[in-house]
Parts: sequence; structure tokens; C-alpha cells
Amino acid sequence: MIQADRRTGGRAVGTAVLAAMLLTASPPDRLAAQDSQFGIRGLGTPGRWESVRSRSTGGAFAPFDPLSPLTEAPLADIGQLTATAVGGTSHRDVAVGGTTTALRATRFPLMGVAGPVRPRLAVAAGFTTYLDKSWDVTLRDSSLLRGVLQRYTDAITSDGSVADVRFAAAGRVSRRLAIGAALHVLAGSTRETAERRFDDTTFHTVQQSAEVRYDGLGVSGSVLLGLAPGLSIVGWARSDNRLRATVADTTSAMTDLPRMAGGGVLFAPSPGARFAASAAWRSWSNAGAGAFDTWSWSAGAEFGSRRMPIRLGARGGQFPFGPGTKAPTEAAGSIGTGRAFAQGRALIDVGLERLERRGGGLTERVWTVLVGLTVRP
Amino acid sequence: MTGRRLALIGVALLVAACVERLTAPGQCPDFCPSGQITIVDTLLTSSINRDSSYRGYVLAPEATLMLAAHIPGATDTLDSRPIFRINGYGGRLVLSATDTGAILGADSARLKLVVLRRDTATHNLRLQFYRLPITIDTSTTFGSVAGPFTDSLVRTVNIDTLLAQPGRKDPVTGDSVVSDDTVSHQLVVSLKLDSAAARYVPTDSGTVAYGIRVAADSLASLAIGEGTLGLALQWYLRVDSLGTTVARTPVSLGARFASFVFAPSPAPLDSTLAVGGVPSARSLLRVAFPKFISDSSQIIRGTLFLVPAVAARGAPADSFVIEARTVFADFGGKSPIDTRLGDTTVIHVGATDTVKIEVTNLLQLWAADSTHPRVFVLRPQAEAQFFGEIRFYPSLAAAFRPTLQVTFVRRFPFGVP
Repeated sequence: MIQADRRTGGRAVGTAVLAAMLLTASPPDRLAAQDSQFGIRGLGTPGRWESVRSRSTGGAFAPFDPLSPLTEAPLADIGQLTATAVGGTSHRDVAVGGTTTALRATRFPLMGVAGPVRPRLAVAAGFTTYLDKSWDVTLRDSSLLRGVLQRYTDAITSDGSVADVRFAAAGRVSRRLAIGAALHVLAGSTRETAERRFDDTTFHTVQQSAEVRYDGLGVSGSVLLGLAPGLSIVGWARSDNRLRATVADTTSAMTDLPRMAGGGVLFAPSPGARFAASAAWRSWSNAGAGAFDTWSWSAGAEFGSRRMPIRLGARGGQFPFGPGTKAPTEAAGSIGTGRAFAQGRALIDVGLERLERRGGGLTERVWTVLVGLTVRP
Repeated sequence: MTGRRLALIGVALLVAACVERLTAPGQCPDFCPSGQITIVDTLLTSSINRDSSYRGYVLAPEATLMLAAHIPGATDTLDSRPIFRINGYGGRLVLSATDTGAILGADSARLKLVVLRRDTATHNLRLQFYRLPITIDTSTTFGSVAGPFTDSLVRTVNIDTLLAQPGRKDPVTGDSVVSDDTVSHQLVVSLKLDSAAARYVPTDSGTVAYGIRVAADSLASLAIGEGTLGLALQWYLRVDSLGTTVARTPVSLGARFASFVFAPSPAPLDSTLAVGGVPSARSLLRVAFPKFISDSSQIIRGTLFLVPAVAARGAPADSFVIEARTVFADFGGKSPIDTRLGDTTVIHVGATDTVKIEVTNLLQLWAADSTHPRVFVLRPQAEAQFFGEIRFYPSLAAAFRPTLQVTFVRRFPFGVP
């Protein structure tokens, strides 16, 4: 018995070490979500505030998942100190104007730690991607300079993101009701470069770069209500003020950020089957021209024991930035599983997502492989 | 179970190790950033002022080569004659470690010279050697040696005839020529001088001085090297060794003085901006560099436009290069030149086209260092090595004044969605 405890303790420590390695192996500016060409002209690509478990169910479980920073109320039931991190690699095909470009990115979009501090109160801290702003655009064009048509190649890049640093607290008011609230500090930076190379080398190459810093604030709140055994609903709302961009201590842009609201329902008819659905609205049109309010929905299920479940889900909705008068659409299907080790003290979740975005003549198809590590020491 | 676990860990590490690739062709404007690189091109017509010319930076004796030319012009003929003096060994020659002997005279000598530059289209190129007074020095003028150049001809060699000889060697005269560079067409000419042409006078310490005139069927112009590529005289001496005359071939001697004299003298400086010639002339142009350009993020092209007031003068075959530089401090004609950066252009003799010099490097330096004097110096790249000279209209000539065209980039709107 003592030996078994030692073994499971050793596994937990090993998994924790591995998690720590993955948590610290990447620089902060890579803490971003999956990119999109639609985000280049807008504020960026909004992050997905979901753990691998939630994302494998299309995001449907996110409002009920204490490790997904979408809502706070489920934190009330976290029970013990828990740390989690997500890593993902996406392979993206961008098809526009008859050409397809294959892109690839690795991101670490979520890290967090949560735990109870009182019998009915839990707190959490962590960060996730609010906006991914990494992209690299090359362009061939020409312009009339000194009476001669000069051909050139532009390369404009942005590398970085805006992170959402969340400090959350949640409490169980009664056996059926839990509430939570969070303060969100938006912070991040991008390294941006603009380069133009003329075919005629008499014109020197244009090379400019700047580090753009971003900041903003937000608050959110959520309510989790148990309607009946195995049946819960959740509602949440969030308001962010504005995103301020500064270059060399000078404000270069001030953009209003959206208000958001959403809800979900979770139905667990038996210990081996759980179903969930959720929807959310976001007023991204506050961000200005080329931005749209969005609706999104998701539905998913989780089967089997919590030790090694099977998850699947689907989601759809709109992307907030794009050309034209209509928001681009997006739809995704996902599948995943997980594995608990060391008597449930460590979990590895893996997921696979297929996503498609369409709008303005551009289609993005993305395969994303997700790996999540959760440690409960 | 362990294998599965390792597989999962492997997947995790694989994900962490993946390489990023984000570069995609831009589909503008829909899928490009809203900010664009904005380029502005402006012509500064009145920014150059307080310009002036100065002459005398490099004189003929200070030049690294000797210019020979005979170029008839519309009003006069440019006639340039190399002159040089070779000091001898004195009255006695060391015969051994313990013995010297009086130099009785010379049987002959061999003069080697390197023709660094010539017009290969010129035919029947002839070099005429004259004996000059051994007193020639930096004060010698064209007029002061006009007499010897008339009556003291000691030798003539036809370069084209010599080049046409088998082995490029004349068996009669003993002259030879070697073309040692097919790219630059340099020639090494070796001339045999008999005892009449090469007189070793012990009372003059064996010092000899010669001058060269050049002639050809058409415009004759060439440059003769100095220093390491310079003249060398090999004496073949007769020396008295204890009453016996012995032959000695001591080490060859180089020129102790080499220069060239020419006529007519360059036209005096006037209000135009002169660049080039001998002695070399430079021009200074002061620029009122607009703040809106220096404060802009980046200058990507700057061009200085200069309108010739007269056609560029000089030997027709000798195109020459002028360069624009800036100065460390503005002290007028004595301004120390900043040699770190410079831009050049080729001037073709006889041309009257507007001259363009790309001065992007210099403008970028000014934009980066606001304390740097905004002054252009125009000078020939090889001063006093060409007769070529060009004169540009100054800023006083409103219609033809120097102008500056600047292409620059405005600051990119970083951080703007």
C-alpha cells in the first residue's frame, strides 16, 4: 500500500515536472491562440477560452468547466488545487483568389491555477489569449515613382498577442446555486515590422519596426444553477472597456472592446454520459469598421468514465472581423480524449479539431492538435 | 501502459517543438493590414545655397601619376608633358667591400616606364624624350622648359610600332614593350638609351632629367606611373678600377622628382561650381535639409541634380569620376571631408547632360545625425589624375541651380487596427 502510494506520488511529480517544462519552455509572446487571416485587418484573432476538455466538445462544456476561463461559477466546485496548461499546433490552409497557402503555428493559449480557499469559496488566476496578433503578409505590387513604374515586394509582419490575465473568485451560495466574478487585465505586445524591397535597388529597402504594447480591463460574472440532479444551466456576462495600443509611450489607437453574454445547459443522465450545449453573443462591432457582432453556438458530449472519456462536439458561429458587410462564418467539429494518472492527480487531455472559416472569398481550413496537462498535487 | 504514456508525452513534446510558418501572400485590401507603407517623393529646388568652388587641393607634383597629352581644341591645344629627374650614384661607385672606383661614364642605360592609362583607339602613338636641366623641381613651369622641349630631343619611340614587332621587341633599337594587363591595357615600356641619350656626368653626380612629349595621329593622351609603378633607370657604367676600366651594372634608380607641366592653365574659378582639373578643384554645396524629411522615418533615395554650365573638359577618352561627400565641419574650402560615405557618378568629357548623383547614403547620415553639417563636397575621385573638369551652374542661376530630389517613407502606422 505504501509502495503504491509512493508510485502514484512519483507519477504525479513526474507529470507535474513535464507540465512545468511545457509551461516554461515557450516565451510569453507565443502564448497565443490559433491565427486567422480574417484577423489581420481587424483587431486580431479572438482566443478560445477553453481547456482541451471543453474544446474537444466543441466548446459546449466550457461554461461548466472550472479550468476553462470562460465562466467563474464552476470554480466553486473545484475541490482542490489544480493547475492546467494547453498547447496546440494548427495546420491551416488559406484559400483565396485561386491560390492556397499552407500555414502552421504552435501556440500555448491557456495556463491557469485554481483552488479552494474557504469551504465555499475558490479562487483562480491565469491567463489565456484574448487576441492573437501574429501574422506575416507578403505582397507584390508596383507604384509610380519618379515617373517610372517601380515594382516592389512588401512584407508586413506582426508577432505577438494580447493576453487576458484573469483573477477570479467563485462561491457556492446554496446547494443549487454558485456564483463567480473575475477581473480581467488585458496586456500584451506585438513586434511589428514593415519592409518594402524594390526591384530597382537604387531605391533602398524600407525597413521599419516597432513594439506595440496593449492594455485594457474587463470584468465578468457568472451564475451556475442546478435545476435537477444531472441538469444544470449557466449564464455569464462580461464587459471589457477598450484596448489601448501604445508605440514608444504614445497612444496610437484606442479601440472599444465588446460586451459579451452567454449561457449553457449541461445534462448528465448517467455517470457515463454527459451532454452540453451553449451559446454566446459578443458585440465586436464596437471595435469599429470591419467588425461585426457575433453569435456562436456549440454542442458536445462526453462518454465513459472520467478516467478515460471520449469527447466530441461541434460548434458554429461567426468570426468578428472580415471584409464586406457580413461577418465571416466558422464551423468546427472536434473529438478528443483524456487520461488520468496517479489516482487522478495528473491528467493529459488530447483533442483534434477541424475548423472552417468562410467569408469575403477566403476560406480557411484548419486542423488543430491540442494537448492539455492538468495537475492536482 | 508505459508505452502509451510515452506516446502521449511524445505527442506533447512534438507539439511543443513544431516550427511556425505564418507567411502568406497578401490579398489586399480585404486581408491586409489597414496601414500601408507610404512613400513620398519631393523635389527640393531651393534647398541648396551658399555654394562655392575652391582649387589647389592636389598639384601636379603631388599627383600619383604623370599626364601626357596633346589634344587640339577649338581655341587652344592641351599640351601636357611629364618631367622627371633621376639622381645618379655620384662620382664614385663601390666596387667591393674595400674598394671604390671613379665613374668614367656610361655605355648606355635602359629606362623603364609604365603606361597606366591610354586611349587604345589612338594610333601611331609616339613618345618623344627630351633632355631637361637637372634643376627641375616643383616650381618648374611649362614655359620654363619650353626651350629644352624644342631643341633637346634625345629619343623617339613609336609604341604602336613596338607593339607590332615580333615578341614586342625591336632588335635594332633594343626597345621592348610588355602588356601586363589585358583589362587595364597597362604597358611596361623598356627603352635602350645610348651614351648620347644617357650621359652620365660625374660632376653632376650622374643626375639626369628628361621630359616626354606625346604625339599620335589623333588625340594623344596617356598616364605614366610614379612610385612603385614608376620610372626606373638602369645604368651600364664604365668605372676605373686601379687604372683598369671595368663595366658595372649597379642597381636601377627611380625618379626623385616626377611631375608634369601643361598649357594652357585651367581657367580661373568663377561663379560656377568647378570640379576636377589640375590642380584639382572642389565645390561645396550647403543644404537646408527640411525638418519634415529628417524627421521622417527613412530616406530611401536621394538624388543630386547638377546642370553643367559648359561641356565637361578634358581628354575625350578620359571619362572621370566625381564623388559627393559630406564634411565633419564646415570650414569652407578647408572643411575636413567625411570619407566614411560617398556617392559617385561618371562624367564624360564633352557631355552637357544634367548630372545625377545618388546621395542616399549621405542624406541618411544627415537624417540619423542632426549635428552633422549639411554640406556636400563635390570632388574628383582621383584628384589631379585627369585633366577632366566640369563646371555646374551655381544656386545663383535660378533656372539651372542644383536641386535635390528626395524619396522618403512616412512612419508606418504601427498599432492601428
